[in-house]
Amino acid sequence: MSESMERILAAVVEGKHSEIEQWVRDALSEGIEAHRIIDEALITAMDEVGRRFADHRIYVPEMLVSAMTMKKGLEILKPILKGQGTRSQGVILMGTVKGDLHDIGKNLVIMMLEGAGFQVVDLGVDMGVEQVIQKVEEIRPHILGLSALLTTTMPEMGKVIEALKDKGLRDGIKVMVGGAPVDRSFAEKIGADGYGKDASEAVQLARSLVGGE
Amino acid sequence: MKSTPYNLVMSALFAGRKGDRPPVGNPTSIVCQELMDACGVSFPQAHLDPQAMAELALAGHEIVGFDTVMPEYSVHQEAAALGCQVDWGDRDRMPDSKNFPYEDFSDVQIPEDLLERPSMRVVLEALSILRRHVGGKVAIVGKVMGPWTLSYHMTGTQNFLLQIGLGEKEKVNRMLRQLAPVTVAFARAQFQAGADVVVLADHATGNLISPSHYQEYLLPIHKEITSQIEGPLILHVCGDCADRLELFAEAGFDAYHFEWQVDARMAVKRVGDRISLVGNINNPQVLYQGTPEDVYRQARYAIEAGVHIIGPECAIPLATPLENLKAIVEAAREGY
Repeated sequence: MSESMERILAAVVEGKHSEIEQWVRDALSEGIEAHRIIDEALITAMDEVGRRFADHRIYVPEMLVSAMTMKKGLEILKPILKGQGTRSQGVILMGTVKGDLHDIGKNLVIMMLEGAGFQVVDLGVDMGVEQVIQKVEEIRPHILGLSALLTTTMPEMGKVIEALKDKGLRDGIKVMVGGAPVDRSFAEKIGADGYGKDASEAVQLARSLVGGE
Repeated sequence: MKSTPYNLVMSALFAGRKGDRPPVGNPTSIVCQELMDACGVSFPQAHLDPQAMAELALAGHEIVGFDTVMPEYSVHQEAAALGCQVDWGDRDRMPDSKNFPYEDFSDVQIPEDLLERPSMRVVLEALSILRRHVGGKVAIVGKVMGPWTLSYHMTGTQNFLLQIGLGEKEKVNRMLRQLAPVTVAFARAQFQAGADVVVLADHATGNLISPSHYQEYLLPIHKEITSQIEGPLILHVCGDCADRLELFAEAGFDAYHFEWQVDARMAVKRVGDRISLVGNINNPQVLYQGTPEDVYRQARYAIEAGVHIIGPECAIPLATPLENLKAIVEAAREGY
Protein backbone atom coordinates (compact mmCIF):
# COMPACT_ATOMS: atom_id res chain seq x y z
CA MET A 1 0.00 0.00 0.00
CA SER A 2 1.27 3.46 -0.90
CA GLU A 3 2.36 5.88 1.76
CA SER A 4 -0.59 8.20 1.21
CA MET A 5 -3.07 5.32 1.51
CA GLU A 6 -1.44 4.15 4.73
CA ARG A 7 -1.65 7.66 6.04
CA ILE A 8 -5.43 7.76 5.36
CA LEU A 9 -5.92 4.39 6.99
CA ALA A 10 -4.01 5.49 10.09
CA ALA A 11 -5.88 8.79 10.21
CA VAL A 12 -9.23 7.00 10.47
CA VAL A 13 -7.99 4.48 13.02
CA GLU A 14 -6.45 7.20 15.16
CA GLY A 15 -9.25 9.72 14.59
CA LYS A 16 -7.15 12.45 12.97
CA HIS A 17 -10.22 14.31 11.80
CA SER A 18 -8.55 17.59 10.95
CA GLU A 19 -5.96 16.00 8.62
CA ILE A 20 -8.06 13.47 6.74
CA GLU A 21 -9.49 15.78 4.08
CA GLN A 22 -6.09 17.00 2.97
CA TRP A 23 -4.71 13.48 2.88
CA VAL A 24 -7.58 12.18 0.79
CA ARG A 25 -7.04 15.04 -1.66
CA ASP A 26 -3.31 14.21 -1.75
CA ALA A 27 -4.09 10.60 -2.60
CA LEU A 28 -6.46 11.68 -5.37
CA SER A 29 -3.87 14.02 -6.84
CA GLU A 30 -1.41 11.13 -6.87
CA GLY A 31 -3.88 9.45 -9.20
CA ILE A 32 -5.32 6.89 -6.78
CA GLU A 33 -8.90 6.12 -7.72
CA ALA A 34 -11.67 7.12 -5.33
CA HIS A 35 -13.12 3.63 -5.02
CA ARG A 36 -9.69 2.28 -4.07
CA ILE A 37 -9.33 4.88 -1.33
CA ILE A 38 -12.68 3.74 0.03
CA ASP A 39 -12.11 -0.01 -0.29
CA GLU A 40 -8.49 -0.20 0.72
CA ALA A 41 -8.11 2.65 3.19
CA LEU A 42 -11.44 3.74 4.67
CA ILE A 43 -13.17 0.34 4.88
CA THR A 44 -10.02 -1.42 6.06
CA ALA A 45 -9.59 1.27 8.70
CA MET A 46 -13.14 0.92 9.99
CA ASP A 47 -12.70 -2.86 10.19
CA GLU A 48 -9.68 -2.26 12.38
CA VAL A 49 -11.65 0.26 14.49
CA GLY A 50 -14.35 -2.40 14.97
CA ARG A 51 -11.78 -4.97 16.05
CA ARG A 52 -10.18 -2.57 18.54
CA PHE A 53 -13.61 -1.75 19.97
CA ALA A 54 -14.50 -5.43 20.33
CA ASP A 55 -11.18 -6.04 22.11
CA HIS A 56 -11.73 -3.07 24.47
CA ARG A 57 -8.65 -1.34 23.16
CA ILE A 58 -10.81 1.65 22.30
CA TYR A 59 -14.23 2.76 23.58
CA VAL A 60 -17.20 4.71 22.24
CA PRO A 61 -15.54 8.18 22.35
CA GLU A 62 -12.64 7.05 20.15
CA MET A 63 -14.97 5.12 17.85
CA LEU A 64 -17.14 8.20 17.35
CA VAL A 65 -14.11 10.26 16.34
CA SER A 66 -12.91 7.55 13.92
CA ALA A 67 -16.36 7.40 12.35
CA MET A 68 -16.42 11.18 12.04
CA THR A 69 -12.99 11.09 10.39
CA MET A 70 -14.10 8.37 7.99
CA LYS A 71 -17.18 10.39 7.04
CA LYS A 72 -15.12 13.49 6.31
CA GLY A 73 -12.98 11.45 3.96
CA LEU A 74 -16.02 9.87 2.35
CA GLU A 75 -17.67 13.25 1.75
CA ILE A 76 -14.78 14.22 -0.53
CA LEU A 77 -14.96 10.98 -2.48
CA LYS A 78 -18.72 10.76 -2.89
CA PRO A 79 -19.10 13.44 -5.60
CA ILE A 80 -16.32 11.78 -7.60
CA LEU A 81 -17.96 8.38 -7.37
CA LYS A 82 -21.34 9.72 -8.42
CA GLY A 83 -20.29 9.97 -12.05
CA GLN A 84 -18.82 6.46 -12.01
CA GLY A 85 -21.93 4.52 -10.97
CA THR A 86 -21.28 3.57 -7.37
CA ARG A 87 -21.42 -0.02 -6.30
CA SER A 88 -23.07 -0.20 -2.96
CA GLN A 89 -22.72 -3.36 -0.90
CA GLY A 90 -26.46 -3.26 -0.36
CA VAL A 91 -29.23 -1.17 1.12
CA ILE A 92 -29.95 -1.43 4.82
CA LEU A 93 -32.87 0.08 6.67
CA MET A 94 -32.00 0.70 10.32
CA GLY A 95 -34.17 1.75 13.23
CA THR A 96 -34.71 1.59 16.97
CA VAL A 97 -38.05 0.04 17.87
CA LYS A 98 -41.09 1.65 19.44
CA GLY A 99 -40.74 3.08 22.91
CA ASP A 100 -36.99 3.16 22.64
CA LEU A 101 -35.21 6.47 22.31
CA HIS A 102 -31.77 5.08 22.87
CA ASP A 103 -29.87 5.30 19.67
CA ILE A 104 -26.15 5.51 20.30
CA GLY A 105 -25.61 1.81 19.59
CA LYS A 106 -27.69 1.98 16.44
CA ASN A 107 -25.77 5.08 15.31
CA LEU A 108 -22.43 3.32 15.81
CA VAL A 109 -23.64 0.36 13.78
CA ILE A 110 -24.79 2.71 11.01
CA MET A 111 -21.42 4.46 10.95
CA MET A 112 -19.63 1.11 10.68
CA LEU A 113 -21.99 -0.12 7.96
CA GLU A 114 -21.47 3.05 5.95
CA GLY A 115 -17.77 2.68 6.49
CA ALA A 116 -18.10 -0.81 5.05
CA GLY A 117 -19.74 0.48 1.90
CA PHE A 118 -23.41 -0.14 2.60
CA GLN A 119 -26.06 2.41 1.81
CA VAL A 120 -27.94 2.93 5.07
CA VAL A 121 -31.33 4.55 5.54
CA ASP A 122 -31.75 5.61 9.17
CA LEU A 123 -35.33 5.44 10.41
CA GLY A 124 -34.37 7.04 13.72
CA VAL A 125 -35.86 6.11 17.07
CA ASP A 126 -39.21 5.06 18.48
CA MET A 127 -40.38 3.39 15.27
CA GLY A 128 -43.82 1.81 15.35
CA VAL A 129 -44.46 -1.46 13.52
CA GLU A 130 -46.57 0.23 10.81
CA GLN A 131 -43.92 2.88 10.16
CA VAL A 132 -41.25 0.22 9.71
CA ILE A 133 -43.43 -1.82 7.36
CA GLN A 134 -44.32 1.24 5.31
CA LYS A 135 -40.64 2.08 4.87
CA VAL A 136 -39.77 -1.49 3.93
CA GLU A 137 -42.43 -1.40 1.21
CA GLU A 138 -41.19 1.95 -0.02
CA ILE A 139 -37.42 1.35 0.04
CA ARG A 140 -37.24 -2.43 -0.42
CA PRO A 141 -33.93 -2.77 1.42
CA HIS A 142 -31.79 -5.92 1.36
CA ILE A 143 -31.57 -5.88 5.13
CA LEU A 144 -33.69 -4.49 7.95
CA GLY A 145 -31.71 -3.79 11.12
CA LEU A 146 -33.62 -3.41 14.39
CA SER A 147 -32.16 -2.15 17.64
CA ALA A 148 -33.44 -2.05 21.22
CA LEU A 149 -31.49 -1.00 24.28
CA LEU A 150 -34.21 -1.59 26.81
CA THR A 151 -35.60 -4.89 27.96
CA THR A 152 -39.00 -3.25 27.91
CA THR A 153 -38.87 -2.70 24.16
CA MET A 154 -37.26 -5.97 23.02
CA PRO A 155 -40.60 -7.65 22.23
CA GLU A 156 -41.33 -4.94 19.64
CA MET A 157 -38.72 -6.55 17.38
CA GLY A 158 -40.73 -9.75 17.24
CA LYS A 159 -43.83 -7.77 16.35
CA VAL A 160 -42.08 -6.21 13.35
CA ILE A 161 -41.05 -9.65 12.08
CA GLU A 162 -44.59 -10.95 12.50
CA ALA A 163 -45.95 -7.97 10.57
CA LEU A 164 -43.45 -8.58 7.75
CA LYS A 165 -44.82 -12.14 7.47
CA ASP A 166 -48.43 -10.95 7.47
CA LYS A 167 -47.70 -8.55 4.63
CA GLY A 168 -45.84 -11.18 2.63
CA LEU A 169 -42.62 -9.18 2.86
CA ARG A 170 -40.58 -11.53 5.02
CA ASP A 171 -39.04 -13.65 2.24
CA GLY A 172 -37.66 -10.68 0.36
CA ILE A 173 -35.67 -9.26 3.24
CA LYS A 174 -33.10 -10.23 5.85
CA VAL A 175 -33.66 -9.07 9.41
CA MET A 176 -30.79 -8.45 11.81
CA VAL A 177 -31.22 -7.45 15.44
CA GLY A 178 -29.02 -6.07 18.19
CA GLY A 179 -28.85 -3.98 21.34
CA ALA A 180 -27.64 -4.48 24.89
CA PRO A 181 -30.40 -6.81 26.23
CA VAL A 182 -30.66 -8.84 23.01
CA ASP A 183 -28.81 -12.12 22.57
CA ARG A 184 -28.56 -14.87 19.99
CA SER A 185 -31.25 -17.04 21.52
CA PHE A 186 -33.70 -14.13 21.63
CA ALA A 187 -32.92 -13.37 17.98
CA GLU A 188 -33.65 -16.98 17.06
CA LYS A 189 -36.81 -17.02 19.13
CA ILE A 190 -38.34 -14.08 17.29
CA GLY A 191 -37.21 -15.44 13.92
CA ALA A 192 -34.52 -12.92 12.97
CA ASP A 193 -31.90 -13.90 10.38
CA GLY A 194 -29.01 -12.80 12.49
CA TYR A 195 -27.68 -11.12 15.61
CA GLY A 196 -24.57 -9.05 16.13
CA LYS A 197 -23.22 -8.42 19.60
CA ASP A 198 -21.37 -5.26 18.58
CA ALA A 199 -20.92 -2.92 15.62
CA SER A 200 -18.11 -5.00 14.22
CA GLU A 201 -20.16 -8.20 14.28
CA ALA A 202 -23.06 -6.31 12.74
CA VAL A 203 -20.90 -5.46 9.73
CA GLN A 204 -19.74 -9.06 9.28
CA LEU A 205 -23.32 -10.21 9.64
CA ALA A 206 -24.57 -7.70 7.04
CA ARG A 207 -21.86 -8.85 4.63
CA SER A 208 -22.86 -12.47 5.03
CA LEU A 209 -26.58 -11.69 4.75
CA VAL A 210 -26.11 -10.03 1.36
CA GLY A 211 -24.10 -13.02 0.26
CA GLY A 212 -20.65 -11.50 0.51
CA GLU A 213 -17.69 -12.86 2.45
CA MET B 1 -28.28 -7.34 66.27
CA LYS B 2 -31.99 -7.76 65.66
CA SER B 3 -32.59 -8.97 62.11
CA THR B 4 -34.97 -6.18 61.10
CA PRO B 5 -34.93 -4.97 57.49
CA TYR B 6 -33.42 -1.61 58.54
CA ASN B 7 -30.66 -3.15 60.66
CA LEU B 8 -29.78 -5.76 58.07
CA VAL B 9 -29.41 -3.22 55.28
CA MET B 10 -27.52 -0.60 57.28
CA SER B 11 -25.12 -3.14 58.74
CA ALA B 12 -24.48 -4.70 55.32
CA LEU B 13 -23.72 -1.27 53.85
CA PHE B 14 -20.66 -1.15 56.09
CA ALA B 15 -19.96 -4.90 55.94
CA GLY B 16 -20.80 -5.09 59.64
CA ARG B 17 -22.41 -7.75 61.81
CA LYS B 18 -24.49 -10.31 59.95
CA GLY B 19 -28.06 -11.08 61.01
CA ASP B 20 -30.06 -14.25 60.36
CA ARG B 21 -30.04 -13.66 56.62
CA PRO B 22 -28.66 -11.34 53.94
CA PRO B 23 -30.77 -8.24 53.23
CA VAL B 24 -32.64 -7.80 49.95
CA GLY B 25 -32.44 -4.30 48.54
CA ASN B 26 -33.17 -2.24 45.46
CA PRO B 27 -30.96 0.76 44.70
CA THR B 28 -32.93 1.07 41.44
CA SER B 29 -36.59 0.57 40.54
CA ILE B 30 -38.34 -2.76 41.17
CA VAL B 31 -41.62 -1.48 39.80
CA CYS B 32 -43.28 -3.83 37.32
CA GLN B 33 -46.78 -3.84 35.87
CA GLU B 34 -47.93 -6.57 38.25
CA LEU B 35 -46.72 -4.56 41.24
CA MET B 36 -48.53 -1.44 40.02
CA ASP B 37 -51.71 -3.48 39.58
CA ALA B 38 -51.32 -5.12 42.99
CA CYS B 39 -51.07 -1.85 44.91
CA GLY B 40 -53.35 0.24 42.72
CA VAL B 41 -50.76 2.94 42.03
CA SER B 42 -49.31 3.29 38.58
CA PHE B 43 -46.99 5.35 36.37
CA PRO B 44 -47.03 8.21 35.57
CA GLN B 45 -48.74 9.26 38.86
CA ALA B 46 -45.98 7.57 40.84
CA HIS B 47 -43.43 9.91 39.25
CA LEU B 48 -45.46 13.06 39.87
CA ASP B 49 -47.39 12.76 43.12
CA PRO B 50 -45.54 12.22 46.42
CA GLN B 51 -48.26 10.10 48.00
CA ALA B 52 -48.49 7.80 44.96
CA MET B 53 -44.69 7.68 44.78
CA ALA B 54 -44.42 6.64 48.44
CA GLU B 55 -47.21 4.06 48.16
CA LEU B 56 -45.59 2.34 45.21
CA ALA B 57 -42.26 2.28 47.07
CA LEU B 58 -43.95 0.75 50.11
CA ALA B 59 -45.38 -2.00 47.90
CA GLY B 60 -41.81 -3.13 47.28
CA HIS B 61 -41.55 -3.92 50.98
CA GLU B 62 -45.11 -4.97 51.78
CA ILE B 63 -45.93 -6.99 48.66
CA VAL B 64 -42.56 -8.19 47.40
CA GLY B 65 -40.78 -8.39 50.76
CA PHE B 66 -37.70 -6.26 50.07
CA ASP B 67 -35.85 -4.73 53.03
CA THR B 68 -35.66 -1.33 51.32
CA VAL B 69 -38.13 1.20 49.99
CA MET B 70 -36.93 3.33 47.06
CA PRO B 71 -39.34 5.94 45.66
CA GLU B 72 -37.50 7.27 42.61
CA TYR B 73 -38.32 5.24 39.50
CA SER B 74 -36.91 7.43 36.76
CA VAL B 75 -33.50 8.90 36.02
CA HIS B 76 -35.01 12.20 34.92
CA GLN B 77 -35.91 14.09 38.10
CA GLU B 78 -32.89 16.41 37.94
CA ALA B 79 -33.02 16.61 34.13
CA ALA B 80 -36.60 17.91 34.33
CA ALA B 81 -35.57 20.50 36.93
CA LEU B 82 -32.68 21.63 34.70
CA GLY B 83 -34.78 22.22 31.60
CA CYS B 84 -35.25 18.87 29.85
CA GLN B 85 -38.73 18.16 28.55
CA VAL B 86 -39.57 14.85 30.12
CA ASP B 87 -42.25 12.51 28.86
CA TRP B 88 -43.26 10.76 32.08
CA GLY B 89 -44.55 7.69 30.25
CA ASP B 90 -47.34 5.44 31.45
CA ARG B 91 -47.96 2.02 32.99
CA ASP B 92 -46.12 0.34 30.10
CA ARG B 93 -43.41 2.88 29.41
CA MET B 94 -40.57 4.39 31.45
CA PRO B 95 -40.04 8.18 31.27
CA ASP B 96 -37.67 9.68 28.73
CA SER B 97 -36.18 13.09 27.97
CA LYS B 98 -37.12 14.71 24.69
CA ASN B 99 -34.36 17.29 24.30
CA PHE B 100 -30.83 18.23 25.32
CA PRO B 101 -30.94 21.81 26.62
CA TYR B 102 -27.15 22.30 26.66
CA GLU B 103 -26.16 20.55 23.45
CA ASP B 104 -23.89 23.52 22.70
CA PHE B 105 -22.09 23.14 26.08
CA SER B 106 -23.15 26.64 27.08
CA ASP B 107 -23.24 27.50 30.79
CA VAL B 108 -25.84 25.50 32.70
CA GLN B 109 -28.41 27.69 34.43
CA ILE B 110 -29.05 26.03 37.75
CA PRO B 111 -32.33 27.38 39.11
CA GLU B 112 -32.10 28.99 42.53
CA ASP B 113 -35.14 27.06 43.65
CA LEU B 114 -33.71 23.78 42.32
CA LEU B 115 -34.95 21.68 45.23
CA GLU B 116 -38.41 23.24 45.00
CA ARG B 117 -38.88 22.25 41.36
CA PRO B 118 -41.79 19.78 41.08
CA SER B 119 -39.66 16.82 39.92
CA MET B 120 -37.25 17.32 42.87
CA ARG B 121 -39.85 18.25 45.50
CA VAL B 122 -41.88 15.12 44.78
CA VAL B 123 -38.98 12.84 45.71
CA LEU B 124 -38.18 14.77 48.89
CA GLU B 125 -41.82 14.67 49.99
CA ALA B 126 -42.14 10.97 49.19
CA LEU B 127 -39.04 10.25 51.30
CA SER B 128 -40.60 12.15 54.23
CA ILE B 129 -43.84 10.20 53.88
CA LEU B 130 -41.87 6.94 53.90
CA ARG B 131 -39.95 8.12 56.97
CA ARG B 132 -43.22 8.64 58.84
CA HIS B 133 -44.47 5.19 57.82
CA VAL B 134 -41.46 2.89 58.09
CA GLY B 135 -38.61 4.99 59.52
CA GLY B 136 -36.22 2.87 61.58
CA LYS B 137 -37.94 -0.29 60.39
CA VAL B 138 -37.20 -0.50 56.68
CA ALA B 139 -34.17 1.12 55.02
CA ILE B 140 -35.28 4.18 53.03
CA VAL B 141 -33.28 4.61 49.85
CA GLY B 142 -32.93 7.90 47.97
CA LYS B 143 -31.43 8.34 44.52
CA VAL B 144 -29.56 11.09 42.68
CA MET B 145 -27.84 11.29 39.31
CA GLY B 146 -24.14 12.02 39.25
CA PRO B 147 -22.59 14.68 36.99
CA TRP B 148 -21.68 12.16 34.27
CA THR B 149 -25.26 11.00 33.77
CA LEU B 150 -26.53 14.57 34.06
CA SER B 151 -24.09 15.54 31.30
CA TYR B 152 -25.69 12.87 29.07
CA HIS B 153 -29.07 14.44 29.76
CA MET B 154 -27.90 18.02 29.29
CA THR B 155 -25.80 17.56 26.13
CA GLY B 156 -26.87 14.19 24.66
CA THR B 157 -24.95 10.99 25.30
CA GLN B 158 -23.38 10.71 21.87
CA ASN B 159 -22.43 14.38 21.81
CA PHE B 160 -20.87 14.19 25.28
CA LEU B 161 -18.86 11.08 24.41
CA LEU B 162 -17.73 12.63 21.13
CA GLN B 163 -16.26 15.61 23.01
CA ILE B 164 -14.28 13.15 25.16
CA GLY B 165 -13.04 11.43 22.01
CA LEU B 166 -12.03 14.80 20.56
CA GLY B 167 -10.03 15.53 23.71
CA GLU B 168 -12.13 18.60 24.65
CA LYS B 169 -11.01 18.28 28.24
CA GLU B 170 -11.87 21.76 29.37
CA LYS B 171 -15.37 21.60 27.89
CA VAL B 172 -16.08 18.21 29.44
CA ASN B 173 -14.66 19.14 32.83
CA ARG B 174 -16.54 22.38 32.89
CA MET B 175 -19.84 20.59 32.25
CA LEU B 176 -19.12 18.02 34.97
CA ARG B 177 -18.04 20.67 37.48
CA GLN B 178 -21.16 22.74 36.87
CA LEU B 179 -23.40 19.74 37.47
CA ALA B 180 -21.69 18.20 40.50
CA PRO B 181 -23.29 20.71 42.94
CA VAL B 182 -26.74 19.54 41.75
CA THR B 183 -25.84 15.99 42.80
CA VAL B 184 -24.53 17.12 46.18
CA ALA B 185 -27.50 19.39 46.94
CA PHE B 186 -30.10 16.77 46.01
CA ALA B 187 -28.36 14.00 47.98
CA ARG B 188 -28.08 16.16 51.10
CA ALA B 189 -31.73 17.21 50.81
CA GLN B 190 -32.76 13.56 50.48
CA PHE B 191 -30.98 12.64 53.71
CA GLN B 192 -32.64 15.58 55.45
CA ALA B 193 -36.01 14.52 54.07
CA GLY B 194 -35.68 11.00 55.43
CA ALA B 195 -33.37 8.81 53.33
CA ASP B 196 -31.14 6.36 55.21
CA VAL B 197 -28.88 5.85 52.22
CA VAL B 198 -28.66 7.51 48.82
CA VAL B 199 -27.84 5.86 45.51
CA LEU B 200 -25.64 7.90 43.21
CA ALA B 201 -26.14 6.74 39.63
CA ASP B 202 -23.42 7.81 37.23
CA HIS B 203 -23.28 5.80 34.02
CA ALA B 204 -19.55 5.79 33.35
CA THR B 205 -19.94 2.22 32.15
CA GLY B 206 -17.45 -0.09 30.49
CA ASN B 207 -19.88 -0.40 27.57
CA LEU B 208 -19.21 3.24 26.72
CA ILE B 209 -15.96 4.55 28.19
CA SER B 210 -12.57 3.24 29.31
CA PRO B 211 -11.31 2.98 32.90
CA SER B 212 -8.80 5.69 32.08
CA HIS B 213 -11.59 8.06 31.03
CA TYR B 214 -13.20 7.40 34.41
CA GLN B 215 -9.93 7.93 36.19
CA GLU B 216 -9.12 11.13 34.37
CA TYR B 217 -12.49 12.89 34.28
CA LEU B 218 -14.76 11.48 36.94
CA LEU B 219 -12.77 9.91 39.77
CA PRO B 220 -11.49 13.27 41.11
CA ILE B 221 -15.04 14.67 41.03
CA HIS B 222 -16.49 11.54 42.67
CA LYS B 223 -13.94 11.92 45.46
CA GLU B 224 -15.04 15.50 46.02
CA ILE B 225 -18.74 14.59 45.94
CA THR B 226 -18.36 11.70 48.38
CA SER B 227 -16.42 13.90 50.78
CA GLN B 228 -19.16 16.55 50.65
CA ILE B 229 -22.04 14.18 51.43
CA GLU B 230 -22.02 12.86 54.99
CA GLY B 231 -24.50 9.98 54.71
CA PRO B 232 -23.91 6.52 53.21
CA LEU B 233 -23.76 6.33 49.42
CA ILE B 234 -24.25 3.49 46.96
CA LEU B 235 -22.67 3.99 43.55
CA HIS B 236 -24.71 2.62 40.65
CA VAL B 237 -23.00 2.08 37.30
CA CYS B 238 -24.56 -0.53 35.04
CA GLY B 239 -22.89 -2.55 32.33
CA ASP B 240 -19.62 -4.43 32.50
CA CYS B 241 -17.39 -2.55 34.93
CA ALA B 242 -15.06 -5.38 35.94
CA ASP B 243 -12.12 -3.33 34.70
CA ARG B 244 -12.73 -0.42 37.10
CA LEU B 245 -13.89 -1.93 40.40
CA GLU B 246 -10.81 -0.73 42.25
CA LEU B 247 -11.34 2.80 40.95
CA PHE B 248 -14.91 2.78 42.28
CA ALA B 249 -13.66 1.55 45.65
CA GLU B 250 -11.14 4.40 45.68
CA ALA B 251 -13.83 7.04 45.00
CA GLY B 252 -15.18 6.99 48.55
CA PHE B 253 -18.54 5.26 48.11
CA ASP B 254 -19.76 2.86 50.80
CA ALA B 255 -21.26 0.39 48.36
CA TYR B 256 -21.35 -0.43 44.65
CA HIS B 257 -24.47 -1.68 42.86
CA PHE B 258 -23.34 -3.94 40.04
CA GLU B 259 -24.54 -6.15 37.18
CA TRP B 260 -24.52 -9.91 36.66
CA GLN B 261 -21.93 -9.64 33.89
CA VAL B 262 -19.43 -8.78 36.63
CA ASP B 263 -18.88 -12.07 38.46
CA ALA B 264 -19.89 -11.77 42.12
CA ARG B 265 -17.07 -13.95 43.45
CA MET B 266 -14.48 -12.01 41.55
CA ALA B 267 -15.93 -8.66 42.67
CA VAL B 268 -16.07 -9.68 46.35
CA LYS B 269 -12.52 -10.98 46.21
CA ARG B 270 -11.13 -7.87 44.57
CA VAL B 271 -12.93 -5.04 46.40
CA GLY B 272 -15.30 -6.59 48.96
CA ASP B 273 -13.13 -5.54 51.89
CA ARG B 274 -13.23 -1.88 50.86
CA ILE B 275 -16.69 -1.36 49.39
CA SER B 276 -19.93 -3.28 50.04
CA LEU B 277 -21.47 -4.94 47.03
CA VAL B 278 -25.13 -4.77 46.06
CA GLY B 279 -26.75 -6.81 43.29
CA ASN B 280 -26.50 -8.57 40.92
CA ILE B 281 -29.38 -10.69 39.57
CA ASN B 282 -29.48 -10.51 35.78
CA ASN B 283 -32.43 -8.52 34.41
CA PRO B 284 -32.97 -9.34 30.71
CA GLN B 285 -32.37 -13.09 30.71
CA VAL B 286 -33.25 -14.12 34.27
CA LEU B 287 -35.63 -11.73 36.05
CA TYR B 288 -37.53 -10.87 32.89
CA GLN B 289 -37.38 -14.04 30.78
CA GLY B 290 -36.33 -16.66 33.33
CA THR B 291 -38.20 -18.74 35.92
CA PRO B 292 -38.30 -18.24 39.71
CA GLU B 293 -35.85 -21.18 39.92
CA ASP B 294 -33.38 -19.35 37.66
CA VAL B 295 -33.67 -16.26 39.85
CA TYR B 296 -33.28 -18.31 43.02
CA ARG B 297 -30.09 -19.93 41.71
CA GLN B 298 -28.51 -16.58 40.82
CA ALA B 299 -29.49 -15.11 44.19
CA ARG B 300 -27.94 -18.05 46.04
CA TYR B 301 -24.80 -17.70 43.95
CA ALA B 302 -24.54 -14.02 44.91
CA ILE B 303 -25.18 -14.77 48.59
CA GLU B 304 -22.60 -17.53 48.66
CA ALA B 305 -20.13 -15.27 46.85
CA GLY B 306 -20.46 -12.78 49.72
CA VAL B 307 -22.48 -10.02 48.04
CA HIS B 308 -23.65 -7.85 50.94
CA ILE B 309 -27.13 -6.85 49.75
CA ILE B 310 -29.00 -8.98 47.21
CA GLY B 311 -31.20 -7.45 44.50
CA PRO B 312 -31.72 -6.90 40.76
CA GLU B 313 -28.73 -5.54 38.84
CA CYS B 314 -30.54 -2.42 37.58
CA ALA B 315 -34.07 -1.00 37.14
CA ILE B 316 -36.17 -4.01 36.16
CA PRO B 317 -38.17 -4.29 32.94
CA LEU B 318 -41.81 -3.36 33.50
CA ALA B 319 -42.96 -6.77 32.26
CA THR B 320 -40.94 -8.65 34.91
CA PRO B 321 -43.11 -11.30 36.61
CA LEU B 322 -43.71 -10.52 40.28
CA GLU B 323 -43.01 -14.12 41.27
CA ASN B 324 -39.49 -13.74 39.89
CA LEU B 325 -38.88 -10.75 42.16
CA LYS B 326 -40.22 -12.70 45.11
CA ALA B 327 -37.78 -15.51 44.33
CA ILE B 328 -34.92 -13.18 45.37
CA VAL B 329 -36.57 -12.73 48.76
CA GLU B 330 -37.08 -16.51 49.07
CA ALA B 331 -33.41 -17.15 48.41
CA ALA B 332 -32.37 -14.61 51.07
CA ARG B 333 -34.77 -16.03 53.67
CA GLU B 334 -32.75 -19.24 53.63
CA GLY B 335 -29.94 -17.34 55.32
CA TYR B 336 -26.23 -17.34 54.65
